[in-house]
Amino acid sequence: MSEKPVTTAQKARELGRVLVIGGNGFLGHHIVNQILDDPLWAASHLSVIDLRCTRNRRPDTDKVAYYEANISDAEKVHSILEQVKPDVVIHTASPAPQGDDDIAKDLFKRVNVDGTAAVIAACQQAGVKALVYTSSASVVTDNSSNTINADERWPLVRGDMQPEYYTETKAAAEELVLAANRKDPHPTFLTTAIRPAGIFGEGDGMVTHQLIKIYRQRRTGFQIGDGENLFDFTYVGNVAHAHLLAARLLLVTHRAGASSIPLDYERVDGEAFFVTNDSPVYFWDFARAVWRAAGSDKGTGHVWAMSKELGLVLGFCSEVFFHILGKPPTFTRQRCTYSCMTRYYNISKAKRVLGYQPIVSLDDGIKRGVRWFLEQEAAGLVPAAK
Amino acid sequence: MGIIFYLFHPNQLRSIIQWKVWHDPVHKRNPEKESPALRECFRYLDLTSRSFSSVIQELNPELVVPICLFYLVLRGLDTIEDDMTIPIEKKEPLLRNFDKNMEIDGWTFTENGPNEKDRELLVHFDVVITELKKLKKPYYDIIKDITIKMANGMADYVLNAEHNEHGVMKITEYELYCHYVAGLVGEGLTRLFVEGDLANPRLKDRPELTESMGQFLQKTNIIRDVHEDYLDKRRFWPKEIWSKYVDSWDDMFKPENLAKALNCSSEMVLNALKHAEDCLFYMAGMRDQSVFNFVAIPQSMAIATLELVFRNPDIFSKHIKITKGDACQLMMESTQNLHVVCEVFRRYIRRIHKKNDPRDPNFIAISVQCGKIEQFIETLYPRQDPKKLTEQMDKKKRGDPTADPGESAILLGVGLLTLFCLSAIMVGVAWYFGARYDALWSWTQDKSSYHWPGMGSDGESPVVSSASAVPSIEHSEL
Repeated sequence: MSEKPVTTAQKARELGRVLVIGGNGFLGHHIVNQILDDPLWAASHLSVIDLRCTRNRRPDTDKVAYYEANISDAEKVHSILEQVKPDVVIHTASPAPQGDDDIAKDLFKRVNVDGTAAVIAACQQAGVKALVYTSSASVVTDNSSNTINADERWPLVRGDMQPEYYTETKAAAEELVLAANRKDPHPTFLTTAIRPAGIFGEGDGMVTHQLIKIYRQRRTGFQIGDGENLFDFTYVGNVAHAHLLAARLLLVTHRAGASSIPLDYERVDGEAFFVTNDSPVYFWDFARAVWRAAGSDKGTGHVWAMSKELGLVLGFCSEVFFHILGKPPTFTRQRCTYSCMTRYYNISKAKRVLGYQPIVSLDDGIKRGVRWFLEQEAAGLVPAAK
Repeated sequence: MGIIFYLFHPNQLRSIIQWKVWHDPVHKRNPEKESPALRECFRYLDLTSRSFSSVIQELNPELVVPICLFYLVLRGLDTIEDDMTIPIEKKEPLLRNFDKNMEIDGWTFTENGPNEKDRELLVHFDVVITELKKLKKPYYDIIKDITIKMANGMADYVLNAEHNEHGVMKITEYELYCHYVAGLVGEGLTRLFVEGDLANPRLKDRPELTESMGQFLQKTNIIRDVHEDYLDKRRFWPKEIWSKYVDSWDDMFKPENLAKALNCSSEMVLNALKHAEDCLFYMAGMRDQSVFNFVAIPQSMAIATLELVFRNPDIFSKHIKITKGDACQLMMESTQNLHVVCEVFRRYIRRIHKKNDPRDPNFIAISVQCGKIEQFIETLYPRQDPKKLTEQMDKKKRGDPTADPGESAILLGVGLLTLFCLSAIMVGVAWYFGARYDALWSWTQDKSSYHWPGMGSDGESPVVSSASAVPSIEHSEL
C-alpha cells in the first residue's frame, strides 16, 4: 500500500497483537492491508471483527482471524476480546452516514455510541494496551457554516447545535473513548482518536461513486457557488497510516508505565488528531479531477456557475417536489450548502506529535480511487454509476 | 497605452492617478546633503534600473546608500557578463577579479562594446568605488562577499560550454541558475537588512526563505520572457520539464503544439508557486516600512505576472507584462502591510485557480498548491477564532437569545420574500426557455422520464437515483 520508500535498514515497527474492528470495511481493510503489506509495520497477530467478513477479506494464507459480530452486542465483543487478547485495538466500525429517519438514527446510536462503549469496556477487561478510535473531522462543524483551517482547539458541536445526528453520535463516541484514557481502575489503558476528513480511495462507495455518476449523467456543467471554497479530501491509505502511527505511539507510551505521563506537546494518549491529505483543494476542482480521471475531456468552458442562493431555492423546490412524490430528492438544500462550504483543517498537531505525513498525494489518490472504481464496476462488483 | 484604452478601463487610469497623487514615500533622499559622487551614483541608478530605482531611493536612510551601491556593483558585473564583444579569455578573469578591482581608487572599465546599454556605468565606475569606501565596514563586507560569489558563479556559466550550447537541463540546474542571478542578491539584501537592524535577525537562520524570495522573482521572469529568450537563442526552461510535453524546444513555439506548450508552462508556474508561502513568511520578518515596501513590491508584481502568464498563449509569441494600472495598484497595496499583500496573493491565486484546466496534467497539483498558499495565509491571519467559537457555543448552551425575536421575524419575512421572488423568476425563465410544466404533471402520472430544466440531457430515473449535481460527500469521513 505505502509508497513511502522503506530502506532495508529501517526496521519494521512492531505493533504486537492487533485487532481491527470494522476490518472488512472501507477504512478498516486498508489498515489490515498496510499492516500486512507495508514493510514499515509488523504485527505478531492480526484479527478482525466485522458485521460481515466476506468482502475485502485477506486470503487464508495471511492468517488473519476474522470474527463476525455486531459491536452493539457487548457480550459477544467481550468474549472475542477475551479470546484474542489484543495489545492494540483499532476501532473503525461505523454505519454508512446516510439517512435521517428514526431507523437510521437508532442505528447510529446503537453502533457508534453503544457499540463504542461496549468496545471500551471489553478492551478494559481484556487488558488491551491501546485503543485507536476513528472519529470524524465533522465533529467540530455544525454541517452548515464554514470551517476554516480548524485545528484541535475548535470546540465540539454537540446536542441541539448539531443538526446531523450521525456527527453527534461520532462526537459522543469520541468523548467516551478519550474519557476512558488512563481511567481508574485501568490506568494503563491508553486511547486516542483520529478525525479524518473526506475519505476517498479504493473501496469508497460514496464520494467517487457519486461523482462518477454525475459525470455519466453529463451534469458536470453545473457549479454551485463561486468555486473558491476549499475542502479537505483524504486518501484512505493516509488515514490508515495515521491510525498505525498513533497505535504505535500509544504502545511506546504504555511501555513507559502508568506513572509517566508525556508532556502536553508530545502527548498522544487522551488526545484527538485531525488527519487530512494536508492539501485542501477547491471543492469543484476535486470533482473535476475525478471526472477527468474517469474519462472526461472537458475543461471549464461549459460550466455554468449558479449562485448559492439560487441553488438553495432549487434545492428547496426539489425537496418539496420529491416530498409530494414521496421519493428521496435528487438534490437538496443541504447538498447545495455542502458544495459551497469551506471545510478544511490544520493538521500541524498530527504532523508534530504523530510524525504524520501523507504517503500518497491527492493526485495519485484520485487516480487510484477512480481506477479501482472503474475496474470494480466493469467486473460487476459494485453497482454501476448511472 | 492610448486614451482609448483608459476610456474603456477607467479603473486602470484611477490606479495610476492614485499612485502618482497619493503615494507618500516613507523616506526621501536629500540630494543637497550628498557628495557629488553619491549624486552621480544615484544618477546611474536611475539610468540602469527602471523598476528598482524609485523603491531604493525611498529606503530607510540607514540602508539607502549601501543598497544603491550594491545594486550598481551587481549591475556592473552583469554588464561585463552580458557583453558578447568581450572574448571569454578576457571576460573570465575580469569577472573573477571584480571584487579586487572595485577596491582600486579610480578603477574604470572602458572596453564594453559601444552598444552595451549600461556601459556608461563602468566608464565612470570610480564614483561607485569612492562611495563604497565610505560605507560602514559590515555593509561593505557583505557587498564584497556577494560580489565574489556572484562573479565566480557568472564566470563558471561563461565557461560552461555545455550550458551555453544546450541550455538548462535539470530542474536542479535551473534552480542553481536562479540562485546565482537572484538568490545571491536576496542573501546580500537579507544580510544588509539584518545588519541595519531593519529585519528580524532570525531570517539568517532560515536561508531557504531568502532563497525563495529570489527564486520566485527569477522563475517568474524566466517564464514570462520565454519568447524573448527564444529569439535571443537562450533557453532557461529546464529540459527535464519541457521534454515531458514536446520533443524539441522549437516545437514549443509552433501553433499546432499550443495545448502541450500551455501544459508545460503551467508546470513551470506550479514550480514557481511552491515558493510563495516562503515569500510571505519572509516578508513577515521585515521591521521597517521602507524595507517592507522594497521587498513586497517585486513579490506582488511577480504573483500578478504569474497569473498573467498562466495558461496564456501569448507568452509563446510576444513579450507580455502587467498593465501600468495594475502595476500602480499593486504598488499601492504593497506599501501598506503584510495583511494587504496577503490579500493580493489570495486574489491572484484565486484567478490562477479559475484559469486552471482539468485537462492539464498539472491540474490538481496546481489546485493543491493554490489551496496550500490560501491555507498559509489563513494561518497568518485566521478568520476563525476557536476561543470566540467556544464562547458563542457556551452562550447558546445557556440558552441566551442570540437575536431578538422581532429581528428574526423580519429576517424570515425578507428571506421568504426573496425566496418567492427568486422562485418566480426561475419558473418564469425556465418557462421562457421552453420548460413544459404540463409535461411534469404527465410524468408524475406515468413515471417515464423527467428532466431538470436544462440539467443535462440524460434523464434519470428518480426511483433509484440519489445522485445530484452535488456529490454527497458530507459524511464520507467514514
